[in-house]
Amino acid sequence: MKIAIPHSLLYYYYFPLWDTFFKELGFEVVDTGPTTKDILDKGSKAAVSDICAPIKIFTGHVIEGLKVADYVFVPRFARIKKPEYFCPKFMGLPDIIEGTVEESKGRVISPIINEKNNENISSPKIYEMLTEMFGFSYREIRLAIKRAEEVFERFKKLMHSGLSCDKALDSYRTGRWEEDLRRVKKDGDVTIAVLGYVYDVYDSFISMDVIKKLENLGVNIKTFEMVPQEVAYDNLKHYRKRLFWTFSNRVLGAGLHYLKDPEVDGVIHVTAFGCGPDAIVGRFLQYESDVAGKPFTTLRVDEHTGEGHMITRIEAFVDMLKRKKWAKLSEVL
Amino acid sequence: MKVSFPYMGSAIVYKKLFEFLEHEVVMPPKPTQRTMDLGVKYSPEFACIPLKMVMGTYLEAIEKGAKVLVTSGGHGPCRAGFYGDTHRNILKSLGYDDVELIIFDAPQDNWRAFFRNVQKIRNGVPWHKVINRMYTLYRFVQKLDELEKMVQKIRPYEVNKGQTTQVWNQIHEKFDKVKTRKQLYEVYEECKQMLLSIPTRKVDEKDRIRVGIVGEIYVVMESSINFGIEEILGNLGVEVERSLYLFEWINDNLVPWILRPKRFKEIIKKGQRYIKILIGGHAVETVGHIIDFKERGFDGIVHLMPFACLPELVTQSLIPKISKEIDIPILSLPIDEQTGKANMLTRIEAFIDLLKNRKRGKTREIFIDNIQEDVQEERVVMV
Repeated sequence: MKIAIPHSLLYYYYFPLWDTFFKELGFEVVDTGPTTKDILDKGSKAAVSDICAPIKIFTGHVIEGLKVADYVFVPRFARIKKPEYFCPKFMGLPDIIEGTVEESKGRVISPIINEKNNENISSPKIYEMLTEMFGFSYREIRLAIKRAEEVFERFKKLMHSGLSCDKALDSYRTGRWEEDLRRVKKDGDVTIAVLGYVYDVYDSFISMDVIKKLENLGVNIKTFEMVPQEVAYDNLKHYRKRLFWTFSNRVLGAGLHYLKDPEVDGVIHVTAFGCGPDAIVGRFLQYESDVAGKPFTTLRVDEHTGEGHMITRIEAFVDMLKRKKWAKLSEVL
Repeated sequence: MKVSFPYMGSAIVYKKLFEFLEHEVVMPPKPTQRTMDLGVKYSPEFACIPLKMVMGTYLEAIEKGAKVLVTSGGHGPCRAGFYGDTHRNILKSLGYDDVELIIFDAPQDNWRAFFRNVQKIRNGVPWHKVINRMYTLYRFVQKLDELEKMVQKIRPYEVNKGQTTQVWNQIHEKFDKVKTRKQLYEVYEECKQMLLSIPTRKVDEKDRIRVGIVGEIYVVMESSINFGIEEILGNLGVEVERSLYLFEWINDNLVPWILRPKRFKEIIKKGQRYIKILIGGHAVETVGHIIDFKERGFDGIVHLMPFACLPELVTQSLIPKISKEIDIPILSLPIDEQTGKANMLTRIEAFIDLLKNRKRGKTREIFIDNIQEDVQEERVVMV
């Protein structure tokens, strides 16, 4: 049996877990591969026009996945931390897919992820629906998910030690965990915290490889995955009320963490056009950056392509940071 | 305390609430283009239109002297739950430090904060009076909603254009003066007679067009933001019913659950045929009401949503499928500060024409051909 895992949305964070889990159960896992123009076009055509680009891209991946596999994996993310939730579009994702992709009927595997406090989403209960669909025993599922959780823990450790999500994914694929850990190096001129959801930042098509572009400009990158959950939440303590969305809290918390970090010279917020939670997160980040006196900029991405403006903007931003740093250094000298 | 509040539907209800609690009420002006401009100027760009409009209303109320603003927070993953805090931030950054913003979140989220707010709002009025007056207010809302439902059924058939709206405005003035429950029932009877005495055309049952309005609560309830869609439809000869009335909203959300009518649960159950879990906002209710309207024999649905509204985008994604499966035309209208009235009117008129043609029994095939062109040209989703 073949199952396609769409290379989009929380794929970048959870792929090692799901990949291990389904392989343990004896599935053949198909990764739909990085986003291409073709995938985006297919998704845009099927999806509602006002919806954000990440959902359109996900829809495209589902369409691709259904071509090559028997089933497609569309988890329904409700929450992984009480009392927070995911964006309503994540909660209604399988419904959106059923509404917009006709051929998905009966071929969607969509467990409801509704955990009180477990980022590893590794309760066997979640995946119990597979017993009904395919006749696995509860024990088989429990063992498979346990194995998957171990892999995911290792994956998280890589990120917390300074590898960005996509590099950690590479390590998972190649199996070179230890070597990659040793290779975390920092010798750029300036350090920038690139904040944003994994599906915006690491989808090389939608973000036009912003990370690689920055690295080529000699920038050290810090991202929200490198900040452990507890640390991120610790920074949010002074807010009256947490945001509703888990990953928005993580992004905001990590942002506050980096604003205090003397190594970080500036902050870039990567956000998708029309992203609801980011309308609020963006405002807070901007406000806090002003307070901390660190340069802040927003890169807004959507399904349109055109790299020129992006390169100009990040070059200008990096340039500004470098000059600022030089000015400070020469003052000291 | 000089208290004010944002608009949503019949604002005299909120005014009454604070009058009953013996506050000095600053009635915010009915939202206009200026309100919108003010709101847009100071709000985050990608916030949805309700946040911007409410922001504008606050600023106008403050101009009129309001010192305390009361609003509801939210519960669940729709971002409206965070709008109170965003508003507070913006007001602070504008230098209104002396203005207090009281946000009522769902009591189950934080009982203590809720009770603190209640104490503040109660204004020292003894509890037995509060309870008595709140019951009066409850009936007040009920009666007003009943009359509004009548208005929506009379307006399409009125002989003298505009008369119903005029009477409806008079009703508001009369209700504004109500102080006790006894008065309320008297005024209600009087207003009912006023409505019933409006001369109407006789229209055959088979020629009546009924349209249900569903969607996000603010754009559905607040006529200044949806261009008075109920009036527009009424003037086109269409009977209208909304998915949301204040009275029902109170029943569904504020009345203890044992006393709640079953209707709400049934709607949710219907909605879950397409959206399996509650995802915040009114997405599941919207779907539930679409199905409910169809079952009750309505001819079409108008779906209103703020541009990029998170939960309603899920609904919108499902609309073509629902429309096809239960066979009812649905017009989905996203609203933001750019939305023009002429554009909206054209779409609505075209939609009503379609409903009329359909009712007259034109063949479905021709209908579908027409629509498919429409779908490509505009974002109108029908069939």
